[in-house]
Amino acid sequence: MTNVSTPAGSAEVTAIDTQARGPLLYLLVSGVAWLVVSGFLALIASIQLHSPHFLADCAWFTIGRTQAMRDTAFIYGWGGNAALGISLWLLGRLGAFPLRGLNWTVVGTVFWNLGIFAGLVGIAAGDMTGFSFLQLPRYVLPLLVVAYAAVGMTGVLAWSGRRYDGMYASQWYALAGLFLFPWMLCGAQAVLLWWPVRGAVQAVAATWYGQAVWTLWLAPVALAAAYYIVPKVVGKALPSYESAPLGFWTLIFVGSWMGGRHLIGGPVPAWVPTMAVVAGSLLLFHYLVLGLNFRVAFQSGGTALRFVRFGLVAYVLAGLLEFLTSFRGIAASTQFTFVNNAIEQLGLYGGVSMLFFGAIYFLVPRLTVQPWASAGLLGGHRILVTAGVLLSVVALAYAGLSQGAGLLDDKVTFATIFGQIRMVLLVNTAAQLLLVTGNVLLLVNLVRTACPGTAPVPARSLFRQPAKLEAHAS
Amino acid sequence: MKNGSVLLVGLFAALTISFGAIVLGSHAQLGRLTPFYDDVESNAFPAQLRGIAQRGQLVYADLGCAACHTQQVRRPDFGSDKARGWGERQSVARDYIHQARPQLGQSRLGPDLTNYAARNATEESIYRLLYEGSATHPSYRFLFTDREIVGQRSDKAISPAGTLAPKPGHQIVPTERAQSLAAYLLNLNNTYDYPEARPFVAAKKGEEQKK
Repeated sequence: MTNVSTPAGSAEVTAIDTQARGPLLYLLVSGVAWLVVSGFLALIASIQLHSPHFLADCAWFTIGRTQAMRDTAFIYGWGGNAALGISLWLLGRLGAFPLRGLNWTVVGTVFWNLGIFAGLVGIAAGDMTGFSFLQLPRYVLPLLVVAYAAVGMTGVLAWSGRRYDGMYASQWYALAGLFLFPWMLCGAQAVLLWWPVRGAVQAVAATWYGQAVWTLWLAPVALAAAYYIVPKVVGKALPSYESAPLGFWTLIFVGSWMGGRHLIGGPVPAWVPTMAVVAGSLLLFHYLVLGLNFRVAFQSGGTALRFVRFGLVAYVLAGLLEFLTSFRGIAASTQFTFVNNAIEQLGLYGGVSMLFFGAIYFLVPRLTVQPWASAGLLGGHRILVTAGVLLSVVALAYAGLSQGAGLLDDKVTFATIFGQIRMVLLVNTAAQLLLVTGNVLLLVNLVRTACPGTAPVPARSLFRQPAKLEAHAS
Repeated sequence: MKNGSVLLVGLFAALTISFGAIVLGSHAQLGRLTPFYDDVESNAFPAQLRGIAQRGQLVYADLGCAACHTQQVRRPDFGSDKARGWGERQSVARDYIHQARPQLGQSRLGPDLTNYAARNATEESIYRLLYEGSATHPSYRFLFTDREIVGQRSDKAISPAGTLAPKPGHQIVPTERAQSLAAYLLNLNNTYDYPEARPFVAAKKGEEQKK
């Protein structure tokens, strides 16, 4: 059944990869396809911010609905599929045993994607829930949980059947993301949609879930990729690795307590936003550990590593900004403004997505036993996405600060605030255009690499040129 | 880390503790709030929404109005909420106990709507904003129908001017959804002064000392 015949140590590409090729590529291609979909929705939503009448007469595309669809396609479509693909690959490789239950992975992916599609149609038709990051209508959620479990089971089997007892940091992080998500999704939908808690408690539960999606699901998988790729590419063990478990448990235990920062001054118990400040200060330790571990990432080059470096810096920066905005004094001028969108864009696009891109550029050649189809598309994607993320974060942050200053002064009308930030919002639309163009390039490149017309190059010849395998841009 | 079961138990414990403390803890604190009965007015607050207004909240939610409008007033010394006339007091959890799905919102591209009905809003002005839009507000014309006047003109029909004016013999009538939405907005009035919403006395003393 298994033919792990390549001698250990000499194999950059093993049977572990080639057996999982189809199911994992399916996850990654659907992830990137959803990223493109969410990119177009983000483009519409960003145009509606500066030109409110754009598509407003069409009930399916009111700004509230386009934003909800964009978030859903991004978090569940792109984030979900990519996180599953990357964590399964990492757990399989580090477990040193071919993945089992891959038929279930394929079936699960089909239904996961169908569920998201049905959810988007439901949102457009008016069934959105109104909880940010959990806009999916109630009727698709059970399907998503079952589909996720079918895919995720492969990862849990790979982890429990691992060949070595000891575990590496990537395994903790990947398992955390993989295992915790279905539980938080079940908990959140139970108290929000099936047996709703009363009144303002719903806001607490929704922000808890929104934070948990970020700190207990997507960020851990992204960090798992970083912990795998950085030492592999740099060719060194990570410095201060002994502190990694502390950094890990800090994130897992206090990360989800940060959600209260959205509720400062709101009709909720005052300790909820206060705990966000406490959690934020504890998380500084997590970022410190990441800094210590990943300082070697700046000593080497390569496509995958460049994405990972950008992602790590953005992830830490977003975390620090989250911490700052959880203070009441600062929140007074940033709450309810685009500053929150800027931080979200920095964390989810600059942080998590860039780390996922790094992982995709690293693992796809190893899965397909092919170099990337086009170095040009790859370089174009990197430039466009980097520029798009930077531009949109700066534009949104500037818009947010100017909006916040306006909101604080009761003499300034909303029309004046709108006039002040309109230009910057146009810049944000340009940034969204860069992002979606870049991601179309990635999709084309990925599909061409995944379904090549030519016979695969033998693994051995590629292994000798790992640089070529990753298609270094320079 | 070598022990796999410790990892799994730790992960599960982390999630359970945070869910239990934040979500269930808040629920234990606020989940049993009852309406406040005022002996002087012999009435309980907050009042239940009327049926049509309750349907209006669903329209508000499904159109995603919360993308730009909040429904939470912060305390008078935090931000300009009071100065902008959005409310004399901060919103408290009791304001939301009758709402199936409170629309607190996270973004203020437009004004807060907690006490929208307490500001001089009329059904007519709401319909006009929804149909015509403004420089900053989208128009939602799908909430209206353009139909021929048969017999008498509908008393809800709006009369937009210029290019938006209906053809002769036609009228622009708000649909049932628009009417419920307007009814909901005209019911947004949480001005009753609950004991827990009154300013904290100790804070006042501190301010005086500063002066």
